[in-house]
Amino acid sequence: MHSNGFFLKDVAGFLGGYYSAIAIMNGIAALILWRKKGQVGWALVWTAVAVVMMVLASLALSGSSSMVPALPASVRGLVNNLSGPVLYTLGTVALLTVLFVFRKFFVRPMVAWAILNAMLVLMGLSMADENFASIVMKPDNVPIVGLVFLLAFFTWLATKQAVVNDERIAQGLPTVEKENDEKVLVWPDLVYTELICMVAVSAFLLVWAIFLQAPLEEPASSVKTPNPSKAPWYFLGLQEMLVYFDPWYAGVVLPSLVIFGLMAMPYLDFNKKGNGYYSIEERKFAYLTYQFGFFVLWITLIILGTFLRGPNWNFFGPFEYWTPYKVEVLNNVDLPQMFWVNLLDRPLPKASPGASGLVQAGTILLREAPGLLLMGAYLLLLPPLLAVTVFRGYFAKMGLVRYMIMANMMLLMLTLPIKMILRWSFNLKYIISMPEISLNF
Amino acid sequence: MADKKKMSVAEILAAARAADGKGTAAPAAPADQPAESAAEPAATTAAEKPAAPKSAPAAKPAAGGARPSVADILAMARAKKEAGDAPAAAPAAKPAAAAKAAPAKPAAAKPAAAVGGPKTGVQRDTASILAAARAGAKPGPVSKADAPTRPAPKPREPKPAEERAAPPRTVATVPPKPVKPAKKGEEAEDRRGFLQIALGSAMALGFTALSVTSGLFTLGLARFMFPNVLAEPPSKFKVGFKDGFPSGKVETKYVPQYGVWVVNGDFNGQQQIYALKTVCTHLGCTPSWLEAEQKFKCPCHGSGFYKDGVNFEGPAPRPLERYAIRIADDGQLEIDKSRTFQEELGQWADPESYVTV
Repeated sequence: MHSNGFFLKDVAGFLGGYYSAIAIMNGIAALILWRKKGQVGWALVWTAVAVVMMVLASLALSGSSSMVPALPASVRGLVNNLSGPVLYTLGTVALLTVLFVFRKFFVRPMVAWAILNAMLVLMGLSMADENFASIVMKPDNVPIVGLVFLLAFFTWLATKQAVVNDERIAQGLPTVEKENDEKVLVWPDLVYTELICMVAVSAFLLVWAIFLQAPLEEPASSVKTPNPSKAPWYFLGLQEMLVYFDPWYAGVVLPSLVIFGLMAMPYLDFNKKGNGYYSIEERKFAYLTYQFGFFVLWITLIILGTFLRGPNWNFFGPFEYWTPYKVEVLNNVDLPQMFWVNLLDRPLPKASPGASGLVQAGTILLREAPGLLLMGAYLLLLPPLLAVTVFRGYFAKMGLVRYMIMANMMLLMLTLPIKMILRWSFNLKYIISMPEISLNF
Repeated sequence: MADKKKMSVAEILAAARAADGKGTAAPAAPADQPAESAAEPAATTAAEKPAAPKSAPAAKPAAGGARPSVADILAMARAKKEAGDAPAAAPAAKPAAAAKAAPAKPAAAKPAAAVGGPKTGVQRDTASILAAARAGAKPGPVSKADAPTRPAPKPREPKPAEERAAPPRTVATVPPKPVKPAKKGEEAEDRRGFLQIALGSAMALGFTALSVTSGLFTLGLARFMFPNVLAEPPSKFKVGFKDGFPSGKVETKYVPQYGVWVVNGDFNGQQQIYALKTVCTHLGCTPSWLEAEQKFKCPCHGSGFYKDGVNFEGPAPRPLERYAIRIADDGQLEIDKSRTFQEELGQWADPESYVTV
């Protein structure tokens, strides 16, 4: 939208270096593969990619802003129009599901390398867009970009080892960890490694601090809130959760439950397998539950909050200009309103102003009856119901107390995606809404 | 008895009792016939089983009047166990072990016995054995002066001497519950001691002074919670005459200083001037007034409020709050920030929460 020659000249230098770096990266990969016997084909492929990257780099450095490689405006417009919180969340879930189901394919080093190249190139092409670049290159957003790549890498690394182990276990072989024992001596091996890492990371952080300075804003004022007002990046998932809940729940109860749930894990886990080695097949339930909570309910929300939430906490496409005047219709209503007014076509139960406290409390309870019944059924009826159906084996192995803790933790964790879906699909604000006593759910 | 090393409490106690019963005789009447007769089979059995005598008897050469320590009791018990594995099955082994323990067991000669009490041959109860074991942390002769202060379990029924010779009870027998020893004298001394400690010692004086000082210091700190002067803007301020607020206008110029929007708007069909507090009811950010969209919009989580302050989008659970507003004596509008009115509590009907236009 705002791409112009001045901006492109600024960013072109960076992009030239960026594409050159990708080219060098691919060149080194090709060299390594060339030296290994039998990988000549792949070596040629990555050499070709390196050549293409060199071409892109020279285009970026050509000095003409029209030559800088960029995504066509039509594609960017389409992405902007399509993107929204619903598509983003469902899309990431679908993507992660595909990655999980076809993990045997995706963990192959050549496939992973190709994906890394694609991600980097897509990023470079997007950087030629001013709106995208202004958000991604903001000093406090750079760590999130790093987070995306680092997380992808480490997840790939762990998944690869798990896939290899799963295959070995299926064949009756010992795991990789057992076969080539990686144990080292604390002194000197581990301590030296740690020392080198410490020096390297300190040097890196120093350079980072010098070149990317922390953004300073105007002095804080209790009556002026920056727009958009964002939490530190690691709390942006929490801020996104707060959009769907009352502060006491999304800000206090859910984070505490995350901590307590993580603490309870060793006591809830009765699966003795997977101890000391990577494996997915042997602990699918634990793996999927954790990855869902971590990736979908935490990381994607951080990315959403960082890159896609703009002024007034409105959703903006990745190439959209962050205007504080964007109009979005987000009207929502509480469940009692839906039930009494929209469904039964009656006014909300309301006590007369002079009524006694008991009558007023009774009226509030009657008004909130549908929500209270729903929540009661969800938290009290579902666990036993699950115990005799889906989780029958778990219930038998865990016993009542451990099973109930596990089931309730899971149900409370699922309140977040359920509430998000209800908000998007039915414009539901709160299931239980008792502002009189500041209790909303 | 699967594990030779481990002994049940019952066995230990039984052994201790057996030792007591036998041993009392030794110091009291060394020439006593039953005692000697008991000692004889002991010698024979010991010869037969050379392993046994090692642990217990040798351990306790210090004889006269010493209490048995826990180690002693255990050693004796072990010796007995080795000597006669199943006490009930081989009763002969019993006296043997007991006699062996005898020299070690002047414990039997409890302090009470030393003073000449009728203690000899009394079956000791669990409490007294344990008490003795505990008190025996520093075993040594008990002085005569000390002796009467010691709690001594009441002798239940002193047995005649000939009964002593009879084989001691088997392990299976459960001894009757001990009678609680009277403790009056000790308690009285404790109380005196406490007073002495509480008031007498320099340490107590120091701690008393410390606690009093820290209490006063805390009170002094609490005083800071109630300052004499509050550097806050006055809660009441004037914002001009009614004419300055034409219908439908949201006045935002008082936000930076006072945190209030003065609105001339329509609420429930009534045209009012009211003062809205600029604090979002979700998490307390300051929303901004969007003139084009005629709404208050919070930048933190996207809550939206209509011009009358009622929430309609985002997570805000209740409408914005109103401050008290009135027409002062000089005809100007005066806002009082010390009082707020909440819609969900029905307080917007209060005539002090608005001024009719």
